[in-house]
Amino acid sequence: MNRTADQPEPNPLREGLSARAVPQPCTIVIFGATGDLTHRKLIPALYNLAADGDLPPAVAIVGFARRKKSDEEFRRDLEEATRKFSRQPVRDEIWKTFAQSIFYHQSEFGDEAGYKTLAGRLGEIDKTHGTRGNRLFYFAAGPDQFEPILKHLKAAGLNETCKGSWVRVIVEKPFGTDLASARELNRIIHNSFTEEQTYRIDHFLGKETAQNILVLRFANAIFAPLWNTHYIDHVQITAAETLGVGTRAGYYEGAGALRDMVQNHLLQLLCLVAMEPPTDLSADSIRDEKVKVVRSLRRLSAAEIAASVVRGQYTEGAIYGKPAVGYRQEENVKPDSQTETFVALRLFIENWRWADVPIYMRVGKRLPKSATEISIHFKKAPAVLFNKDLHDLNVLVIRIQPDEGIALRIHAKVPGTSFHIEPVKMDFHYGTSFGKASPEAYERLLLDAMSGDATLFARRDEVEQAWAFIDPIEEAWHAKKDPPKLFFYPVGSWGPEEADDLLARGGQAWRRL
Amino acid sequence: MSVTETYSLGIPVEIGKINQELKKLWQESEGAMTRASLINLAVYSEEPSSLEKNTQLMAKITENHACRAIVIEADCKAKENRVDAWISAHCHVSGAGNKQVCSEQISFLLKGMCTTLLPNIVFSHLDSDLPFYVWWQEEFRAPMDAQLWTWVDRVIYDSQAWTDFRAQMRLVESAQEEAKQRIVLCDLNWTRLDKVRFALAQFFDHPASHHHFAKIKKVRIEFAPRFRSTAILFAGWLAAQLNWRADNANARNDLRFVSPTHQRIDVQLHERHGEPVGEIALETPEIQFLVTHAKCGDLLEVSRGKPGEKRMPQLMPAGKNDPVSLMSEELMRGGLHNVYLHAVNRIRESL
Repeated sequence: MNRTADQPEPNPLREGLSARAVPQPCTIVIFGATGDLTHRKLIPALYNLAADGDLPPAVAIVGFARRKKSDEEFRRDLEEATRKFSRQPVRDEIWKTFAQSIFYHQSEFGDEAGYKTLAGRLGEIDKTHGTRGNRLFYFAAGPDQFEPILKHLKAAGLNETCKGSWVRVIVEKPFGTDLASARELNRIIHNSFTEEQTYRIDHFLGKETAQNILVLRFANAIFAPLWNTHYIDHVQITAAETLGVGTRAGYYEGAGALRDMVQNHLLQLLCLVAMEPPTDLSADSIRDEKVKVVRSLRRLSAAEIAASVVRGQYTEGAIYGKPAVGYRQEENVKPDSQTETFVALRLFIENWRWADVPIYMRVGKRLPKSATEISIHFKKAPAVLFNKDLHDLNVLVIRIQPDEGIALRIHAKVPGTSFHIEPVKMDFHYGTSFGKASPEAYERLLLDAMSGDATLFARRDEVEQAWAFIDPIEEAWHAKKDPPKLFFYPVGSWGPEEADDLLARGGQAWRRL
Repeated sequence: MSVTETYSLGIPVEIGKINQELKKLWQESEGAMTRASLINLAVYSEEPSSLEKNTQLMAKITENHACRAIVIEADCKAKENRVDAWISAHCHVSGAGNKQVCSEQISFLLKGMCTTLLPNIVFSHLDSDLPFYVWWQEEFRAPMDAQLWTWVDRVIYDSQAWTDFRAQMRLVESAQEEAKQRIVLCDLNWTRLDKVRFALAQFFDHPASHHHFAKIKKVRIEFAPRFRSTAILFAGWLAAQLNWRADNANARNDLRFVSPTHQRIDVQLHERHGEPVGEIALETPEIQFLVTHAKCGDLLEVSRGKPGEKRMPQLMPAGKNDPVSLMSEELMRGGLHNVYLHAVNRIRESL
């Protein structure tokens, strides 16, 4: 959100034209360029930035992958994908100039010679495209490929910067599978790049409403006095999806919902909701506050895990009225798989602000609808006057996706001569109030990385602290003796009943979505 | 009555019953609709039949900017004193594609002495707590009505059509000074330059290119007939941002500035049919930075290079010169326009 110390002198002609840090000319090298992420997300995002005029003209893209392909073939593949996945229609004339700066570099990830020729090619592109020696390496390949790529980048001197230029690396999740592997991954990355050069991407943070959490909390004085244990009864964070495991079973079988969603996306959202006000909007000030939240999470003992964490797996059922198979019947899933497709947790943040406020999180596949939201449930007003018979709480809902927006539930008198009170909802929808579509999360995040703004990227200590919280749960689940049960829920339900019990014990209930 | 997307002025209403009628309009409307409003946008014109024209514009503008539109046509010369009012709604399907989002419009036709009732009529029909923007489509006249301007958050005008820029600017600035509240001055002639300014600025994003600023000797700006003021504003922007001081000009379309390092900069304005600002070239002895409209329409072609060198032009959005696009751009940006005021101050005497 702010310029970092290593960012250059401002351009006087930019004053008043843009309220964001300016992306710098650079070459983006995508490792795993023939993969799904490149075709579905990265290139469409870069094309949209170009079409909106947000991409500096001096940007080149080099796809690095194993398959044999010419520049022209690569461009054709990307054009086809962009026409399919771009949020705005592709205009031929814009694609034509955009595609001029796309190149393909064929090499095995472990082939040293491929990186030497890459270095030469990048030097040439600097001369022809004015990219000024700035490099953004995007790791869209599997994490098992990171080490050889990083090693060879270093050997080829591609991690080094010349005077006035920069080199950055964007790493896609998963950032490890546990604390030890995350530390190992960070060690490998830091052998070649510093932490300041490392951008760990979590696309949830690129969403408009996720960014709006900070604005809601710190630009509106009305919420600040209420945002604590004195006024908040509990917090719920839900990430529900109707989709099943699809083609990701190979990865998902080894990961599960806790690693796939909770360790990164949900904890990141929790950090934004629970953090203290940062001293300024610099990346590190914000991330300093976020990491304090994860550090303050009460670590769960084995007994507490059994009582506070519910894991589930979907069984045969129906979604939108259509029959759907259970997880164990999905392709590439073991018939006796113990992988969780649903997790519900009750957490506590042990600090002054959040003492004794339960935080409930749930994430699941094959639930009745797709929705990601945070809801803040406020305590009841004193039980005098109107509140003796009221059961509903005031709730502030921050909808992350779909239909991004904010809603507030309050109580109102029903018109009439009697004193009947009902909850009503004040609702703000981004789509209704602002006609302009929000950019895709990847657009925002790629632009930030080109601008040197790491605010919306996870820092090493955030990732490691998150694993330190998650690891005991995984260990308990995989313990040989008395592991907590895996519960089952039919496709199209809101998860196992035990997830409801988690809240019922505290006199609470999941919000009806 | 059902609320539909039309360009008609809607239902005629008694001026004292506008709020009740608006309420009825929403109650009687069919289907799932959401009324949305982020600002009060008053549009003022004295052009005959401007109500219909501005209703069409509002129908388009509200697609991206939900507002309460207050559209006013004033006929100050009419002999009869009369106020007519209409209410209507502009509805469109939201970006999500499943909901009708509607903005309401109140239209007024003021005749004769009733035009002096403008502030009163506007104040009675503002959607409370929302910012108040006025799009003033006429030239300003002295004295500026302090009662009106103290309520305004942003005044939007187009200096391109002004016959006497200095006098008009003095009036706007006097309203700004008198207003208890801060008014942001929004000139659509300045908005017209957004994309070309953006296109030129991006050449200098890298600090290694900043040394070129001190070497600029010549600026060439091509402008369409009637858009000389747009071109001069552009020159004013360069001068303000690069700290150039105005020097004596040779001729009407030859401006001269002096840089902080005492380098003389000639700004040549050339009139040519086409886009308001069709081409801009910044020249140093070694390099030329060029922004020109691409043949394919609403795109700019940007390139840099030494004379005779092969260039690799890139395309950037050019923006459009119609009132809906300019207003949408302006409403989207928000913020203060200090850079505009600096630019105006550099070239005020040339306009």
